[in-house]
Amino acid sequence: MKILLQIGVVFGVYWVSQCIEAVLPFPFPASVISLMVLLVLLIAGVVKVDHVREKSDFLLGNLGFFFVPVSVGIINYAGIIWENAAAFLTICVVSTVLTYGATAGAVRLTRRLLEKRGGGAS
Amino acid sequence: MSALLESPFFGVTLTVIAYWAGVKIQRRTGLVICNYMLVAVALLVAVLLVFDIPYEAYYVGGSFINMFLGPATACMAVSIYAKLELLKKNWLPVLAGCTAGVLTSMGSILLMCRLFGLDAAMTASLLPKSVTTPIATAISQDHGGMVAITVAAVMVTGILGNLAAPFLIRLFRIRDPLAVGLGIGACSHAVGTAKAMEIGETEGAMSGLAIGLCGIITTVCALGMGGLL
Repeated sequence: MKILLQIGVVFGVYWVSQCIEAVLPFPFPASVISLMVLLVLLIAGVVKVDHVREKSDFLLGNLGFFFVPVSVGIINYAGIIWENAAAFLTICVVSTVLTYGATAGAVRLTRRLLEKRGGGAS
Repeated sequence: MSALLESPFFGVTLTVIAYWAGVKIQRRTGLVICNYMLVAVALLVAVLLVFDIPYEAYYVGGSFINMFLGPATACMAVSIYAKLELLKKNWLPVLAGCTAGVLTSMGSILLMCRLFGLDAAMTASLLPKSVTTPIATAISQDHGGMVAITVAAVMVTGILGNLAAPFLIRLFRIRDPLAVGLGIGACSHAVGTAKAMEIGETEGAMSGLAIGLCGIITTVCALGMGGLL
């Protein structure tokens, strides 16, 4: 019964998010809406972590499994990827390096600025 | 026979077996490149090709599994919530880092897609590739991308980030665990986070936090970039 209720909570949050997605005038995925809705409910204390723990451990612990069917769809796109293999790999490598550098650099910069301001005030 | 192949139980069972084999093979070899998802997908593709089973027949069962992706994304809220104190204490560097990461990722991808002369569908498929799969696929679909290509790009990126993390840390000469963790999470989502957890506790927690936050920021940025495709 406990697990059943947890499924109810998580699926319920997702269904509400699908309703929100349907009324939004721009494309915003229900999955991201549901992430924000559940976070707000947790912070507000409406939903406790205990209300969703086992269900969430099951879904996140096996996250890879749920992607498998859609990934197998690559079977229908093998030709397109093969034709663009060089572009595909270059884009993956270059953007990964740049993204890491930009994120880590921005964090360091922000923390240094904060330290300076904090140091100046005290 | 084809009616039996189109039973949802066929696709679900086949996927469970392939996934189980993938997890076993990764444990046995311990290689990142033998990523359990890659192995599972490769096995399924091989089975479908060898026995000449149409993807559509397999996907009758597959769609039931796919249904759980959305609710699984919702559950990422639980992992952000678990790190709420860490987020509150460092909200400014965390937000600045994730935003810079997302803008750099999407900007560089958009630029390179133009340079390589890729069409709008291919660009939309690659644009969200640095974030976690359920969010990346949803963005790709919303903007006219090909979901399977997005999944492939997300997986390649994750494995790259995981393998390259120690090298990236040396390359940019940044030692701050907060910066390293967020950097790994922003460029290579959950697969990179596995590596960040090996590097250190703070790195792992920060990387995990970056997954959800970068996902949300990317979704918002994709709204603006939709017009550029």
